[in-house]
Amino acid sequence: MFTVGAVGVVIRRNPVVVFMCIELMLNAVNLTFLTFARYQLVNPTGTDIAAQRSAMAGQMMVIFVMAVAAAEVAVGLGIIMTIFRARHEVDVDDLNLLRG
Amino acid sequence: MTDNFQLVWAIIGLPLLGFVLLTLAGSAIEKAIGRRGLSIIAVLPILLSLAISCLLTQKLAGLAVADRIHVVQGAPWLSVMGLNVPFEWSIDPLSMTMCLIITGVGSLIFIYSTGYMNEEREYARFFTYMNLFAAAMLVLVLGNNLPLLFVGWEGVGLCSYLLIGFWYTDLENAKAANKAFIVNRIGDWGLTLGIFTTMVLILGSYQPVADGRILSFDTMQAAIRISSMSHPAWTTAAALLLFIGAAGKSAQFPLYVWLPDAMAGPTPVSALIHAATMVTSGVVLLNRMHYVFEVSQVASAIVCGIGAFTALFAAVVAFGQTDIKKVLAYSTVSQLGYMFIGCGAGAYWAGMFHVVTHAFFKALLFMGAGAVIHAMSHNQDLRNYGNLRKYMPITTATMVIAWLAICAIGIPGVGGFAGFYSKEAILGAALANVDTTVNGLNVAVAAGWIGIVVAALTAAYMTRLMWLTFFGGEERWKQIAGEPEAHESHEMVIVTPTEEVSDPNGFFLATAPHVEEIHEHALSSDHVPKEVPASMWAPLAVLALLSLGGGYVLANHDLLQNWLAPVSQAQYLSGGGEPEGLPLGWISVGAAVLGIAVGILYYRKGLPKSEGFDDSKWSHLRLLARRQFGFDHGLNEAAIDGGGLLANGLWHGVEVHVVDGLVNGIAGIAAILGKDLSQVTKGYVRAYALVMLLGGVAILGIMFLAGAR
Repeated sequence: MFTVGAVGVVIRRNPVVVFMCIELMLNAVNLTFLTFARYQLVNPTGTDIAAQRSAMAGQMMVIFVMAVAAAEVAVGLGIIMTIFRARHEVDVDDLNLLRG
Repeated sequence: MTDNFQLVWAIIGLPLLGFVLLTLAGSAIEKAIGRRGLSIIAVLPILLSLAISCLLTQKLAGLAVADRIHVVQGAPWLSVMGLNVPFEWSIDPLSMTMCLIITGVGSLIFIYSTGYMNEEREYARFFTYMNLFAAAMLVLVLGNNLPLLFVGWEGVGLCSYLLIGFWYTDLENAKAANKAFIVNRIGDWGLTLGIFTTMVLILGSYQPVADGRILSFDTMQAAIRISSMSHPAWTTAAALLLFIGAAGKSAQFPLYVWLPDAMAGPTPVSALIHAATMVTSGVVLLNRMHYVFEVSQVASAIVCGIGAFTALFAAVVAFGQTDIKKVLAYSTVSQLGYMFIGCGAGAYWAGMFHVVTHAFFKALLFMGAGAVIHAMSHNQDLRNYGNLRKYMPITTATMVIAWLAICAIGIPGVGGFAGFYSKEAILGAALANVDTTVNGLNVAVAAGWIGIVVAALTAAYMTRLMWLTFFGGEERWKQIAGEPEAHESHEMVIVTPTEEVSDPNGFFLATAPHVEEIHEHALSSDHVPKEVPASMWAPLAVLALLSLGGGYVLANHDLLQNWLAPVSQAQYLSGGGEPEGLPLGWISVGAAVLGIAVGILYYRKGLPKSEGFDDSKWSHLRLLARRQFGFDHGLNEAAIDGGGLLANGLWHGVEVHVVDGLVNGIAGIAAILGKDLSQVTKGYVRAYALVMLLGGVAILGIMFLAGAR
C-alpha cells in the first residue's frame, strides 16, 4: 500500500492524484502503527505497564497523523485551487517556477 | 629628613597649577587685573619652583656623596603582573642640575617674555603653554622611571608644537609646527621601542627587582648589567633605539630638520625650548641610561660619530643662513652635536656640562637676538642690520659675552668663558678615549678632531653674525625701501566684507566677518632702533654674568664632574680624562681665535657683495649651505613623493591584486559553485519526490546495515 502510494506520487502528474497517493502512504503508515500497537498488547515483551503505554503511544500517533493529514489536505487543496485559478491548469511538471 | 624632599611635588605642581589657572581663567584674569597682574601670576610659579629647586639642591649637597640619590615615592600608576610603575621622583645631582637650569633660565626667559610678548594679543595663551612646558620638562627630568620620562618627553613635544605654531594663522608657522611634531614622532617611536627593549633586557636577566619597579632608574642598573653580558646584541639595539629617541628630541642628524624651522615660534620660546632645555633632554636621557650605552662600544661609537657629523654639518650650514634666528638654530644643532660627542666618548658629565653652559650662552644669544628683532620692527634678516652697537649698548655688551662664550675663548690654566671649559672637557674626553674603537678606527678621537675644526667654524660664523648685526660701519636698514621679508607682528583685525555676497539658493558665501593679519610696522629706512625695556635686558645681564663666570665656577676643582658623579659617572669605561702630551686647550682656543680673526677680516666692512640680497652673486658653496645641501628638500621629496609613490604602489600592487583578488576570488568561487549547483533544482516536483524517496530508502538501508553489524 505504501509502495502503491509512493509510485503514484512519483509517476502521476495531477496534483489531486498525487495528494491521494500521499494519503495512501500516510494511511499505510497508520495501519502499520495500529498493527504494531495491537501486536504489543497481544504479545507483551516487557512489563505490562510498558506494553500498554507503548500500544497507547502507537494509537495516539495514528490520531496525530490523521489530524496532520487533514490539515495538509486543506492547505494543499487550497494551494491547488489558487494555482488553478491563476493558470487554468494544474500539472505538477509545469509548476517549475522555483527552477534554479 | 627625607620629608624635605617631598617639596619636589611643588616644583612640578606649581607650574602645573599656573597652567590650569591660566587655561581656565587666563583671559578673565587679564580683563580683571590687567596684563601686569597676569604676568605676575604667570611668572610666579616658576620663580617659586626655582626657589624650591635651590632649597632641595642645597639639601642634597649637604648629604654624603653616597646618599645623594633619593627617590620620592608617590601613588601607584601602572601595576600589571609584577611590573610596577609608580609616580616617583628622583632627587639626584642630575635631576637637580636640570631643575636649576629649567627653573633658573626658565624664570629669566619668562620675565623676558613679559616684555617681548607685551604687544601680542593672546598673551595669556602664551603663558599657558609656557607653564605647561615647564611642568612637562620638570616631569621629564625628575621622573624616576622610563614611562614617567616618556610622559614628560611627550609633554614637552606637545608644548613645542603648540608654541612653534603660536601664530597659527600663518601657514608657514603651522607647517613648521607640524614638521617639528612629525619629526619628533620618529624619535618618540625610537624611544618607545627603546623602553620596551630595555624592559626585555631587564626581564631577561631574571634578577629580582625590589617592588617590581623594574623600569625605575635606581633599580634597573644591576639587571641591565647582567643581561648585557649574555645579550650584547640586544643591549646595542636598546642603546641605539634610545639614541634614536634622543636624536629626535635633540635634533641630531638626520632628525635635526625640525629645529631650524621651529624658529617660527616666538623668540623666547626659541630660547627656552629650542636652545636651553627641551633639546637637551636627549643628553639627559643618555646620562640617565648611560649604563646601557657604556656596555656597547658600537652604540657609543655611533653616538659619537653622529654627534661629530651633526656638529660639522650644522656649522657649515650656518654660514649660508641670513635669518639671525636660523644661524642660532644651526649653531644649537652644532653644539648639541658636541654634547653627543661627549656622551659617546663616555664623559657623560662633560655632555651635561655643555648642556649647562650652553643653556647660559645660547639662551643669552637667542634673547639678545630677540631684543634685536624687537628693536628692528620684527625684521630677522641679518642683511638689514649693522652697527647696532650704537643704538643698543646693553644688548651688544651681553651678546659679546655670549659670543666669546660660544667661541670657547679662554686662557688655559687661567680662566675663560663658560663654553671654554665645557668644550674642552668634551674634546679632551673624546681625544683621550680608548673605548669606541670599531674596526680599528677610534671614532671618538676622530670626533674630537672634527670637534676642533668645528670650534674654528663656530667662531667664524658667530663672528659673522656679530659683525653683521652689531659692528661694521653700515646701517643697512637705511638702504632698504621695499618689502620687509619676515614679520613677527601678527596683530589681528576683524575684517567685515563691504558687500554682501549671497548665492541664489539663499546660502551665504563668505560673508561672515573674518580675522586677518595686518603687518603693522615694517622695517623702513627711517627706522631708529631703540634699546629694549628693562624686563628684557635684565635677564640678558644675568645670563651674561653666568656665561662669563659659570664655566669657571663649575669647572673649578671639577665641581660639576664630582657633583654629577653619583649619577653619570661611567661605570665600566675609563670615561675620558685628558689626552696626554697634547696642549688641547691651546689648540682649541687657537682654532677659535683663528675663526674669529678670519671672520673679522672678512666682515669688517659690513656685508660683502657676495652675500647680498642678490642670490646670483652668492658663491656656489654658500648657496648649497643655505639649502642644507639639499638634505631638507630631499627628505621632504623622499617623504612626500616617495610616500605617495609607495602608497600608490601599495594600492595598485597589493590592494588591487592581493586584497581585492582574495575577496573577489572567494566571491567568484561561491558564484561558480552556486551556478553549478543550481542545475540540480529543475523545478520538477516529481523528481524531488523521487529523490526524497530514494534518500529515505538509502537512510533506512544504512540503518539496517549499521544495525546488522
